[in-house]
This record gives sequence, C-alpha cells and structure tokens, in this order.
Amino acid sequence: MGRLTTLLWAVEHHECDVENEVICAPENVNILFEYKEPWFSVGPVNFTRTSFLIFLAAAVVIGLLYFGLRRNRLVPTKFEAAIQSLVEFVRDGIARDIIGPEGVRYTPYLLSIFMLILVGNLFELAPLINFPITSRMALPAFLSLITYVIFVFVGFKKNGIRYLTDTAWPKAVPIGLRWLVGLIEIVSTFILRPITLAVRLFANLVAGHLMLSLLLGSGIAFVLAVGEIGPKAGIGVVWFAFGLLMFVFELLVGVLQAYIFTLLTAVYIQTSIHPAH
Amino acid sequence: MEGNIELLKGAIALIGYGLGAVGPGIGIGIVAGNAITAMARQPEMTGTIRATMFLGIALTEALALIGFVLFFIA
Repeated sequence: MGRLTTLLWAVEHHECDVENEVICAPENVNILFEYKEPWFSVGPVNFTRTSFLIFLAAAVVIGLLYFGLRRNRLVPTKFEAAIQSLVEFVRDGIARDIIGPEGVRYTPYLLSIFMLILVGNLFELAPLINFPITSRMALPAFLSLITYVIFVFVGFKKNGIRYLTDTAWPKAVPIGLRWLVGLIEIVSTFILRPITLAVRLFANLVAGHLMLSLLLGSGIAFVLAVGEIGPKAGIGVVWFAFGLLMFVFELLVGVLQAYIFTLLTAVYIQTSIHPAH
Repeated sequence: MEGNIELLKGAIALIGYGLGAVGPGIGIGIVAGNAITAMARQPEMTGTIRATMFLGIALTEALALIGFVLFFIA
C-alpha cells in the first residue's frame, strides 16, 4: 500500500465529528511511518517494506560506488566523475579538513554513513518509494551508536585514561569552576552527543515526511472531493503546488542532513583525538 | 479535571515547542548572519566558514528538534 493511499485511507476512515471538532486530525501520525504487515518472516524477524528499503539503500550505495570507482580511467565518464568528486569531497572536505591529516583513515566510515544517509534521505523524494528510511528511529540511532563507539574508542586509544580525566577535570578552566565545567562536559560528550546526533537526523526527516504527506495528500483529497464541496476544492491545487515547492526544500534538507551527520561525526572524532581544545 | 488536562496536553506541548523554538531561532540567525559577514569580508575563506556555519547551526538546531520530538511524545 503506497503512502498516498495510506493517507487517503486514514482521511476517509477517521471518524470526525465535524460539528464539534475544530481540526479533523487523524489520531496518530504513526500510520505514515509504520508498515506493520510483514512481507515474510524469518523466525521472530519480520521483513517489512522498511527493511526492504534499508537493504535497497545499501544496494544502491554499493552499486554507485562499485560502478563509479571500478576503473581508474584517465578521462572518467560523467557518472564516474560525479562519484569520484563525491568521494573526494568526503575525504578532503570532511575527513582531512576537520580531523586533520590523520583523518584520511576514517574516510571509509565517513563515506559509508554519508552515502547511506544521503540515499536514505533521498528515498523521501524518489517516486514510488516516497519514504525516508532515516525517519524510523532505528537507523539514525544505530548509526549514531556506531559513531559513539568509534569516537569513545579513538579517544581512549589516543589518550588513554587521560581522555576521561581531561574531560571531567579540564585543565584550561579556573580551578573553582572545573567541577561544573567537567560535569557539563561529561554529560554533553557521553550522553547528549549520541542522542542529539540521532534525533537531529530523525526529527528533520520526520518533519519533512509529515509536511510532504500533509500538503500533497490534503491537496489530492481536496481535489478528489470536488463533487461534494464544489469550487472550494480549488484550495487543493494550492496545497499541492505548495507541496511541490517543499520537494525542492526537502531535497536541500536531505543533502544537508547527510552532510551534517558526517560533519559532526568527524568533529566528534577530532575532539576525541585532541581533547585539549 | 483529569479529562480536561488530558485534552489540553497536546496544546500545552505545542506551546512548549513554540517556546523551545525561540532560542534556537535567534541562535541560528546569529550564526548565519555572522557567517555571511565573515564570508563577505574574506571570500577566500568561504569553504571553511560554510562548514563551521553548518556545524554551529546543527548544534543550535538540536534544541529545537528535541522540542519537536517531545511535542510528539507528549
């Protein structure tokens, strides 16, 4: 069942008391994000449409990178040049610029999450898919957990136990304030960082998906109801046009959020390598 | 009484989100405005400034997004 049909179903089957309710909102927005019916089950694991889309995103990423970097030609084709410039952007623009010369070795991880999030975000706009897999908390949470493990591991590996003590007892701060700054630093580094990293991506995509669904869906719902409400259905055209405008905005948001997630991962790794500043 | 509060919960969460969005809104404005000033003064540093600007925006934005998520949880 496509998203639009889901939405129209929700609109039609919602019992709304027009006389007393000011806004006829569906009771829950989860219907836009949950695909409950499994395609098939392996033991306790249900394979739903979202699971399929995650595998599809991984396949798209692997395919893009494989066909883009397969041959090392003197004059690459346009497609190869695009993929290579993307890799170069992550390696030079993110890994080297943020982490420093030793950051190049983190390029594979940064490139993987950048590509996966980018493809996952753009699924929101892809025809026939229309569902950003990053708007389910599981994926951003898992990615941010990997980032968390990496930057904590790198911190302990590069600085030993001083990584923890320097964070909790910062030498650069006047002695009277050290316990307070240290407490804030500990909480923000080890608790807030992974949470905000995941929530940022998740909330942006949820907001985008909701907005697109509401604008395009209500546009179509209004136009389809032309027989009942007459010329008032014209408002649906306006909603739909506005929804198409949001498409462009969501394209920007999708690319930007993939960039920001990768950038913040690089920044967190950098602060673990050099915790002093 | 209980029922009334239950009815109002969504509205209160909405007001909370609105209040929570004020600070980050001002913050993002300051970050972006200063980044534009910096870019205008030193156009050759545009790349670095843009990366730092997105970083600042992302960190500021987190507060508003937490409010947004809490609005749905409430």
